[in-house]
Amino acid sequence: MIKIQDIRDTARDLLTKGEVRAVIGYRRGSRGMLAEPTFITSPEQADELVWDPTCFHNLSLYLVHDRKFLAHIRKNPEAPVAIVAKGCDARSIVVLMQEHYFKREDVYIIGVSCEGTGVLDERKLAPHLKGVQASNAAFDGNDFVFTTSEKLLAGHPAEGEKRLPAREVMADRCLECRIPYPREHNVVFGEDKTGRQLAEPFAALTRFEAQGAGTRWDFWSHHFDRCIRCFACRSVCPMCYCDECVVDSITFPVTTETTAEDKANRIRWIERSAVRSENITYLMTRAMHLAGRCTDCGECERACSVNIPLRLLNNKMEREAREQFGFEPGASIGGPSLVASFLDSDPGDFIR
Amino acid sequence: MFLYFSASPRIRVNIFWFRLARLRFKIMEKILNKKHIDDWIAALDGWDIQAPVLEDDIWSYQPVGGAVRLDHPNTKQSPKGLAFPQREIFFKFEQIKGEAPRLTEVVPDERRHAVFGVRPCDGRGVPRMDLVFNDHVEDNYYLARRKNVAYVGLACNKPPSANCFCLSVGGSPVSTEGLDVQMTDLGDRYFVKAITEAGKGLMTAAGKLFAEPSAADQKQVKQVHAEAVAQPQRAVRNVEEVPAKLKASFKSPLWQELAQPCIGCGICTFLCPTCHCFDINDEVQSKAPLKGIRVRTWDNCQFPDFTMHSSGHNPRENTGARLRQRVGHKFQYFPENFGMPQCTGCGRCISECPVGIDIINVVNKVVENAG
Repeated sequence: MIKIQDIRDTARDLLTKGEVRAVIGYRRGSRGMLAEPTFITSPEQADELVWDPTCFHNLSLYLVHDRKFLAHIRKNPEAPVAIVAKGCDARSIVVLMQEHYFKREDVYIIGVSCEGTGVLDERKLAPHLKGVQASNAAFDGNDFVFTTSEKLLAGHPAEGEKRLPAREVMADRCLECRIPYPREHNVVFGEDKTGRQLAEPFAALTRFEAQGAGTRWDFWSHHFDRCIRCFACRSVCPMCYCDECVVDSITFPVTTETTAEDKANRIRWIERSAVRSENITYLMTRAMHLAGRCTDCGECERACSVNIPLRLLNNKMEREAREQFGFEPGASIGGPSLVASFLDSDPGDFIR
Repeated sequence: MFLYFSASPRIRVNIFWFRLARLRFKIMEKILNKKHIDDWIAALDGWDIQAPVLEDDIWSYQPVGGAVRLDHPNTKQSPKGLAFPQREIFFKFEQIKGEAPRLTEVVPDERRHAVFGVRPCDGRGVPRMDLVFNDHVEDNYYLARRKNVAYVGLACNKPPSANCFCLSVGGSPVSTEGLDVQMTDLGDRYFVKAITEAGKGLMTAAGKLFAEPSAADQKQVKQVHAEAVAQPQRAVRNVEEVPAKLKASFKSPLWQELAQPCIGCGICTFLCPTCHCFDINDEVQSKAPLKGIRVRTWDNCQFPDFTMHSSGHNPRENTGARLRQRVGHKFQYFPENFGMPQCTGCGRCISECPVGIDIINVVNKVVENAG
C-alpha cells in the first residue's frame, strides 16, 4: 500500500532543498471525489497532494507544456521538474526522452505503482452508485472504497461507504495493463505487481477483431460520424506535441507577397467540417502517428466527450508493433524507437 | 425574465413586448398520463420529433418515432445544434475557367422540429442564442432554423447533475424561459403547461389526450416545484457583483494559475448551451473544374489557433488568457451587452472537463481575489 504521506514528504523535501522547481502531482478537485492535476512550487503546498483511484491523468502532458512554454520565452530549464507518474505515464516520459523532447536530468520521476489495481472508470461506477454522489475514493488492497454523501441501499458495511472490488469498476486500460509499475523512476512507491494479469492484454481489441469486416466497418462508421472534433483526444495526449497539427493550418507563412489565391489554396489536409471523411482522416492520422509511441495510458478514450472507443485504434497499432517487431513502447530511454530503427531480423514479408 | 443588470434600451423594448405577449396569453395547463406521451408525439403531424436517447453510454437528442421515456439526467450536448448546427453550408460555388463564378444558395430545410425533454438551463440557453444571432446582425441561417424549432421542456425535480448551478445564475429548475411547453413529472403523469402560442399548438394537436388538471394536481405541481427549487445546488456567489469584479481582475495572475491544467480542447464550448463562436471556410471539393462549398463550423476560444494571427502573433497566447475570455464572455461581456449572464448553470463544462477546470470555482476565486 502506498502511503500518501511518503509522496508528500518526497515532494516537500525536493522543493525545500531546491532540487526541483516544481512538482506536478494530483490534488483533490472541486468536483466531488475527482482528483485534478496540480503544480506545486513551495514546500507548504506538498500536503495538498493525493493518490487515489481518480488520479487518471497522464501528467507527462504537462512536461510537454512546460517545455513548450520555456521554448516560447526562450529560457533553459534551471532545475528539473518532479512528476508523479504511474507505469503508463512513466513509459510516456521515456518515449518523450527517446525522442529527445527533454533530457533525463530535466525530470525527477516520483513513481507510483498501481500495484494490484489501477484507476477508476467513472462510467462503470455510475450504475453501482445509483445516482448518489461520491465525495472520496480510496485504494484498499484489491478494493476501491467510495465515501458517499447520501445513504446507500441497505446491505453495505457502513452507511455512506461503498466498497467495490476494483476489477468491477477499473478502467479497461488498467485491467489489460501488462506493466503496472514505473520502471523508470528516481524514487518509487508501492510494490511491483507486474504479471498480475487481471485481463488478457489487448482483450478488448481481440474481442472486436473477432467480428467480420462488415460489422467492423459499420461500427467505425457509426463512431466516426459521432466525432464532434473537440480534439480532446489530441489535446490530452502527451505524444501529440507537434507545433502544427495536420488538422490545423496555422503556420502557413504569410508575407506581403502572399496573394489571396495563395491563402485560399493553402494546403488543408483535413477540413473543419465534422463529417465522416474528415473525422476518419483526423482519427486515423492520429492513430498512425502514435504507433510505437502510445503507452496505452487511455487518456484519449477517457477524455472523449462522445465515448468513441479510441483505445481500439491505438491498441491495434501497439499490437502490430509488438507482434511484428517485438516492440514495447517506452521500455528504455536508450532503446530504439519503432519507426527510427531497423534490425536485420525485422520481418520483410510485407515487401513484395 | 429575471434581470440583474441594467438592460440596454433595445432589450427593454424586447422585454416590454415579451411581457405584453404574456398578458394577452391565455393560460393552458393540462394533465397528460405518461402512457400517452408516444400518442402525443404520433399526433404531431408535420413535426420531426427529437428526444433524449441513451446510446454509446451517452444521452443525446436524436430523431425518434416513439418509445420516448423522459428519464434522462441531462444530455451530453445541449440542443443548441438544432438552430445552430455544428456544420452549416452557406452556399455552393463553382467556376469554369474563363467564366464568372457561379454561386448556389443553400437554404436550411424547412422541417419543423419539436424537441422533448429540454432541461430548464438549456431552455434558457435559447433566448441567449437568439440575442447573439438577432442583435446587430440578423443571421438568416440561424433564424430560418430557429423559427422551426419548438422546445418542450422538462422541469428538474432533482438536480440532474452534481454540478448544476442554475439557481445562482438567475435560473431555476422550474424555469420556463425559452421553452414553448413546460412539463413537470408528477409520478404517473405530467403536468403540461403551454408557455407560447407554438406550445399551445403542440398541445391542441393532441387535445383529446390531455385532461384538465384537478385542484389536487395544481397543488401537487406547486409542491413539486417548491421542492425542486429547495434542492441544494452548487453556486456562483453574488452573480450581480461578478461583472465589475471580473473587469477589475483582467490582469489577475489567477487566470493563468487556474488555467494551468487546461489542455485547450473544445469540450467546454462545444457542449455549452450558449457558446456560439464559429469559423467560416471554403472547402474545395474539386480543383478542375473548381467546385466547393462555403461552410460555417463551430469554433472554440479555447483552441490555441482561435486568435492566431497570420503573422504568427497570438494575442491570447496562453491558457490563462483563453480561460479569461470564456469566463469573461459568460459573466462580464454578455452581462454588459445584454443585461444578463450568458451562463445558464447547466454544469456541463465542469462535469466534462478532462482536467477538472470548474467554472464555479474559477468565478468565485477570481471574484474573491478582486477584493
